[in-house]
Amino acid sequence: MSVSARIAGRIADAVLIDRQEPIIRFEHASFGFPGVMALQDISLTIHDGEFVGVIGPNGSGKTTLCRAVLGLMAPIEGHLHIFDCACEALRCHHRAKIGYLPQKGVVDRNFPVTVLETVMMGRYGALGLFRRPDAKDRKIAIDALAHVSMDGHQDTALGHLSGGQQQRVFIARALAQQPKVLLLDEPTTGLDITTQHNVIELVQQLHEELKLTVLLITHDINMIRSRVDRLVLLKTKLYAAAPPAEVLKPEILREVYGKDLVITEKDLVIVEDYHHHH
Amino acid sequence: MLDLFTYDFMHRSLLAAAMVGGLCSVIGVFVVLRGLAFVGAGTSHAAFAGVALGYLIGWPPLFLAIVFGLATVWTTGWVEERGRMKLDVSIGILYTTTMALAILFIGLMKNYNPEVYGYLFGSVLSVTDDELLVIGGLAILVLGLILLFSKELYFIAFDQEMAEASGVPARLMFFLLLTLVALTVVVSLKTVGAILVFAMILIPASTAYQLTHSLKTLTLYSMAIGVTTSVGGVIISAMWDLPSGPAIVLLATALFFCAVFLSPKRMNRSSPAHSH
Repeated sequence: MSVSARIAGRIADAVLIDRQEPIIRFEHASFGFPGVMALQDISLTIHDGEFVGVIGPNGSGKTTLCRAVLGLMAPIEGHLHIFDCACEALRCHHRAKIGYLPQKGVVDRNFPVTVLETVMMGRYGALGLFRRPDAKDRKIAIDALAHVSMDGHQDTALGHLSGGQQQRVFIARALAQQPKVLLLDEPTTGLDITTQHNVIELVQQLHEELKLTVLLITHDINMIRSRVDRLVLLKTKLYAAAPPAEVLKPEILREVYGKDLVITEKDLVIVEDYHHHH
Repeated sequence: MLDLFTYDFMHRSLLAAAMVGGLCSVIGVFVVLRGLAFVGAGTSHAAFAGVALGYLIGWPPLFLAIVFGLATVWTTGWVEERGRMKLDVSIGILYTTTMALAILFIGLMKNYNPEVYGYLFGSVLSVTDDELLVIGGLAILVLGLILLFSKELYFIAFDQEMAEASGVPARLMFFLLLTLVALTVVVSLKTVGAILVFAMILIPASTAYQLTHSLKTLTLYSMAIGVTTSVGGVIISAMWDLPSGPAIVLLATALFFCAVFLSPKRMNRSSPAHSH
C-alpha cells in the first residue's frame, strides 16, 4: 500500500469514527464515596464500533470504570449515559446489551456445569423472568461457541478445560447475549503467554467480524498497543484517551506510572506488574 | 414386615418423607453451589426457637418458625450484601443467639413438653393428616417457585456477579433463594427435626455433585437420592424401631461416602483436557 493510500485510509477511518454514534458518554463523572474517589471528573465518549484499551496502574479505577459501564455503580457527580440510558438511578435495562467478561480465576474443576449450560446463561438476562430458553436460544449459544472455536465441546465439563479454553467459553457466554459492546476486565490474567496472545487475537477478530465495540481493560500495554483504536489512560483521573501513538509517550506515561516505567532500546514500554512485587 | 405397609401412619410418614426428601435435596443443589451451607444450619436453629416460643405463648409453632427463619436468612443476606461482616461470622452469631433463645423459651415453660423435642429431633412416624397438608402445600409452593425461576437461580448459584452484570435481577433472586431455604427448613422440622434437617439439604446434593458434570443432571440425581434415602430411612426406622431422623441421615451419609469413593471425578483426576 502506498503512503498516500494509507493516509487516505486513515482519513476514511477518522471520518467513520466521527459519524459513528456515541454509545457510552461520561460527562464530568465521578465515582466512589465522598473523600475516597475511585474515579474523578471523567469525560469520555466511546463510539459504536471502536476498539478501546483501558490502561493504568493498580488501583487506578479500571474496575470501577467497568462497574460503571455495567450500570452497577452510579456517578456521585456528573453524568453517565449508556445507549439512551442515564445511569443515575441504576435501574439500567442496557445490561444485556453489554457482554461482560469478569476478571476471575479458573473455575473449580469439579463444578458441575457443562460448556453449553454456561453459554446458555448468556441468554438469561436477555430473555427476562418467566421465559424459558428454546431452540432459538440454543442455536444462538452454539453459534457463539463456533465464534470462539469451541463448538464440539458443548457437553464437556467446564472444569475440565484449560484456562484459555474456559476464557473462550466465557467470551462465548458474553456473545450469546448478542451484545453491542464487549467489556473485558483483564482477560489474560493467569494465562501463559501464547494463550494470552490467542485470547487477545480472538477479541480482535470478534471486533472485526461482528462489528462489536470493545472495551478491554488490561495492565499489559504491549499486548494491545498495536490492536486498539484508542487507549484510555487512567489514574483516578483521565490522563489520555487517544490513539496509542499519542498516549504511549514517555512524558505522559511517567506522569502516571512514575518509577515503575521502563522504556527499552526498542521503544517497548514495559510497565512492571505490581502483583509480582507485593 | 409387609404388615407395616397396611398401617395408615406408615402411609402418612412415607408420603411426608418423600416430599421432605425431594424438597430438601432440590433446594440443596442451590445451597451447595452458592456456598450457603452454614446458612441452612443457622436457619434451622432459628426456626426451632420460633417453635419453642410458639409453645410458650400458645401461638401456632410453625407460623413462628417461619417468622424466625425468614428473619434470620434476610438478616444474613442483608449483612452479606453490605459486606459489613463475613457471612460465617454473622450467621454464627445468629445461630447461637437463636439457640440461646430456644433454650430460654423452653426454660420458661412451666411443664415439660415432649412435643417441642419432637421438633428438635423429628418424628416422621407421628405425622398427622393436618401436618401432611401443611407440608404438601409448602412443598408445592417452594418447588413451584424453584421451577419458575430455575434459570435465574442456577445463574446466581454459578456466579452472582456475572448474573447481575448480564441483566438478571440477581439480588432479588438471592433473597428468593434465602426465603426458599427458610421455608424448606420449616417444612422439614416435624419430620427430620431442627438438628438434622440441614443434613437433608446438604447430603443428597453433595452426593450428586460427585457423580455428574451437568447442572440439570445434578438436580435430578440429587432429588432421586433425597427421596430414596428419606423413604428408605423411614422403612428402616419402622422395621427395627429406630428413631427416624437419624435413620434417614445415616443412610444418606453412607450413600455419600459410596459416591465419594466411586466418583467418576476421582477417576478422571489425572487426565485434564488438552489445551489449545
